[in-house]
Amino acid sequence: MQPVNKMKTEFISKSVNEGFARVVAASFVAQADPSIDILADIRTAVSEAVTNAIIHGYEEKDGIITMECILYSDHVSITIEDFGKGIDDIEKAKAPLYTSRPELERSGMGFTVMETFMDSLEVESVPGKGTKIHMTKQLEYR
Amino acid sequence: MDVRFKRDGIALIVTIEGDIDHHTSKILKERIDSKFIIEPVKDMILDLSRVTFMDSAGIGLIMGRRQRVSSVGGKLSIINPKPEIIKMLKMSNVDKLVRTDV
Ligand SMILES: Nc1ncnc2c1ncn2[C@@H]1O[C@H](COP(=O)(O)OP(=O)(O)O)[C@@H](O)[C@H]1O
Ligand SMILES: [Mg+2]
Repeated sequence: MQPVNKMKTEFISKSVNEGFARVVAASFVAQADPSIDILADIRTAVSEAVTNAIIHGYEEKDGIITMECILYSDHVSITIEDFGKGIDDIEKAKAPLYTSRPELERSGMGFTVMETFMDSLEVESVPGKGTKIHMTKQLEYR
Repeated sequence: MDVRFKRDGIALIVTIEGDIDHHTSKILKERIDSKFIIEPVKDMILDLSRVTFMDSAGIGLIMGRRQRVSSVGGKLSIINPKPEIIKMLKMSNVDKLVRTDV
């Protein structure tokens, strides 16, 4: 399938960029005129992935996060990548309520949110190299 | 992001305004907890009517406040969540653990 449009952005792992990334992704997808609910789901999933890169990938130290959004006629593909710590056991990390940082009052629901709010989720990670989250969402038209 | 407080008997009404994410939740938690300690209250009511966005950091904020409130024998409740927030509360089963007016 041919992309209709594509963008890629790069930012450092400052927590203020969680909001920036949500707004950027939602404004990019808005050109396809999806429903408000779909935009809300995308905003939430992007926020979860970027937050994870900041807290877990870089453990709140500075690093680079990239976000790529590719718009197709019927869906959007979003890839969020960090070059931080990586994940040893992806299955365990994805389990609902699992968090490696309970002291931060994390809920352990980030991956569950991404899985529930998006139509597909793939996690690629290499310990010591980084983590890549790839998600897609079907776009319904109003 | 902002947070406003009102007292209603033994309950502290906490109205959160703006986005709740990892970035904003740190300061929100600090402000809510310090107010809860100084006021002569036992219960807490979180008014979410003015929340513009909430991800799983909000679940952490709610469950953390629930723990604090119940440690002094009080109850936490949630009022006025918008549909997107209800979706998040249901998905994480918070609606079963915290009194929610949905
Ligand atoms: N980008 C990442 N880099 C390293 N570890 C990660 C990353 N994303 C998630 N993890 C790991 O997966 C766990 C579960 O993530 P999540 O479901 O979002 O819950 P939470 O963020 O509340 O801990 C995290 O606690 C962390 O150990
Ligand atoms: Mg998370």
